[in-house]
Amino acid sequence: MTTALQELWYPVASSTDLVKRHVYQAQLLGREFAVWRADDGYVNVWENRCLHRGVRLSIGINDGRELKCQYHGWRYANRTAGCTYIPAHPADAPARTICNNTYPTQEAFGLIWTGDAAQGDLPDMNGFENYTVLRPIPVNAPQQLVALALAEYTFADGCQSTTDDDRSITITAKEGQSIRFFVQPCDSNLTIIRGLLNRKALGSDRISILKHHNFLLDELRGQIEAKATNLETPAPMVAKIAKISQELSEIPSESGDPRVADLRVQLMKKEMTAEGVVSLQFRAVKGKLPTFQPGAHIDVHLQNGLIRQYSLTNGPGETDQYTIGVKREPDSRGGSVAIHDDLREGDVLAISAPRNNFPLRRDALHTIFIAGGIGVTPLISMGRTLNAQGLGFEFHYFVQSEDHAAFKTVMGEFDRALTVHKGLAPDETGTKLREILNEPGQARHVYICGPGPMLESALEIAREQGWADEAVHFEYFKNTTEIDDTSSFEIDLARSALSLTVPAGQTILQVLRENGINMGSSCEQGACGTCRCGVIEGEVNHQDVYLSPAEKTEGKSIMTCVSRAAGDRLILDI
Amino acid sequence: MIKLYDYELSGNCYKIRLLMSFLGIEYTPELIDFYPGKQHKSKEFRTVNPLEQLPVIDDNGFVLRDAQAILVYLASKYDSSNQWYPRDDAAKLGEIAQWLAFADAITGSSSAARLHDALFYHEIDLDAVRASAHRLFRILDEHLFFAEEVGQNWICPGDCPTIADIACFPYVMLSEEGGISRMTYPALRRWCDRFKRIPNFCVMSGVFPAGPSDTA
Repeated sequence: MTTALQELWYPVASSTDLVKRHVYQAQLLGREFAVWRADDGYVNVWENRCLHRGVRLSIGINDGRELKCQYHGWRYANRTAGCTYIPAHPADAPARTICNNTYPTQEAFGLIWTGDAAQGDLPDMNGFENYTVLRPIPVNAPQQLVALALAEYTFADGCQSTTDDDRSITITAKEGQSIRFFVQPCDSNLTIIRGLLNRKALGSDRISILKHHNFLLDELRGQIEAKATNLETPAPMVAKIAKISQELSEIPSESGDPRVADLRVQLMKKEMTAEGVVSLQFRAVKGKLPTFQPGAHIDVHLQNGLIRQYSLTNGPGETDQYTIGVKREPDSRGGSVAIHDDLREGDVLAISAPRNNFPLRRDALHTIFIAGGIGVTPLISMGRTLNAQGLGFEFHYFVQSEDHAAFKTVMGEFDRALTVHKGLAPDETGTKLREILNEPGQARHVYICGPGPMLESALEIAREQGWADEAVHFEYFKNTTEIDDTSSFEIDLARSALSLTVPAGQTILQVLRENGINMGSSCEQGACGTCRCGVIEGEVNHQDVYLSPAEKTEGKSIMTCVSRAAGDRLILDI
Repeated sequence: MIKLYDYELSGNCYKIRLLMSFLGIEYTPELIDFYPGKQHKSKEFRTVNPLEQLPVIDDNGFVLRDAQAILVYLASKYDSSNQWYPRDDAAKLGEIAQWLAFADAITGSSSAARLHDALFYHEIDLDAVRASAHRLFRILDEHLFFAEEVGQNWICPGDCPTIADIACFPYVMLSEEGGISRMTYPALRRWCDRFKRIPNFCVMSGVFPAGPSDTA
């Protein structure tokens, strides 16, 4: 339930209060806000409260892209306020439900405007096209008392005051100078006076105007506060803090195909970024795009019915669009060709929310990225994240030739951390990889993404050189294993109390779905990790390329889209 | 080597640690158990400072008490850049002295509220000291707002911070531990960010570091 007051726009800061890399603290009707401007200019107005332990985010760190809580280092993304990293769980991607409350925001007339549930237009500012924002004056008194006193404000000869429907108070002097005041009710007994003069003053004229009004308003404040101390202090306002947004707290609806694509995006920009590689930039048709983390991918539902997975290349805080890279694969099943040939700027597509099965640790002392061809895309997002935080990394990009190197402009920010290896034969690539991976060690991590043969050779070399399994992270973009689905076996579902038979020619995933068990999936070829399921008992015949060799040996997980029972029966944790 | 009679949770001792850190001066801390040991009230400590207050320094036998006085002494003697206490600039020395006295008033109010809330000094009149801290913060916020208007970052005019900034910083930054919000002092909050970005800034309990500025 919102009240009429909550639907109004109030100024809560001057634009000049939001200096670069600062977090401003505001309050309106009892609710506190952390207000910060990202380096891209976007103004964030958030609940002033970390979702973890309730610490004020206004004491946090604005790094230009994300806001970091001082207490345990949780990071929240510009624009979406979604959590992107939890230092205590460095290897896990935070759930999408960890998202702070954001409030409607506008920046106009040198002021930052917000409101609990503000809607409609800002107050009419006719005659204030040119303006000077006065120094705001906080007053320890209720809003009504302040408004009454402001109506009597006099700064020159013949001042007349009018109080508008929108609750602003305008004082006009004889010679045409006008001041418009807004009162910001922070709390029941704390109000801030925010004034605008109807001309743009510069230099020493500006200083003397600011000082003149500052002096007069300070006098007025003295009078108001003297009155207020004689009144009984009203009880403080209490703002209700919504625990989680409606959309995020709902259980997703059942659907035949759990590969839900509930986001509608428009293709804003399509351009060739390298030989055979097109870069696509999408914007939300309405609302904001959900938070992503470095390494995340989206399902793109193409106009020809195909569903394809592509990694986001976005940097941290770059939350106004999604960018992906697509390589033309003429021999494949037609997804990339359709994108290259048929998709046009302006087209609207359905995509899934980003999913992250390739999370980036930010607690490594050193990180090595090894990219082959189009496998570079998730690693770009990761590299940009470490780069923004000033964390050490090296980025090796293997390409056929200079013309095949994609996203060169954005990778320019990696500077000397980037090495492009051009036109190496497989044995030369092996030698180079051996060089790159010659120094395993404590808190050193390597991330590999590229074509199958290169990836396998990199994994092999890492193992030979003594890299621990947990330090080597990889993502295949397709599974080239010939899937053997000739076996038939039983599955017992421990949580669902069901026993089912998986016949030859069908996957566990298909059988689950036919029986009403809604299991998420994405690539459905054993590469992305989405349909992972816990195994309680039984031996698994792994046919995926997602799990690491150690995880496969351990046998506690199965990719239900391709892998099967090695014996007659599996007990699954679902 | 300089000996600093020190207590980790004291904002006044923190002033000295800050200047030593900015100047790169090495020192030996002599830890005094202020709370709960009340060691500053012991017979031994009274011979060092009859006022029973921290901090005190002992620089090769020269003993000096009072945070502001120690800042003046250390900057005059050890600051080769002549930035923190510019010895030849009469007007600026006057201004610095003015704000050192102001800093002492912040200690008398903001620090007193913190002693009440955090260290059980129940005899302190909490409402009175909070009110006077707010009065001082209003004045400092207005001063810093108009300093920013003319492109100045620090309490005293000039391109560099002085010991006036150091003297005011700790009990401004720790005010919330005494229940004194800085929400309505935006210029003061921005100055705190700038202060934390001074090279070789050091923290204490309750004072977090700032993130990198945009100049990186």
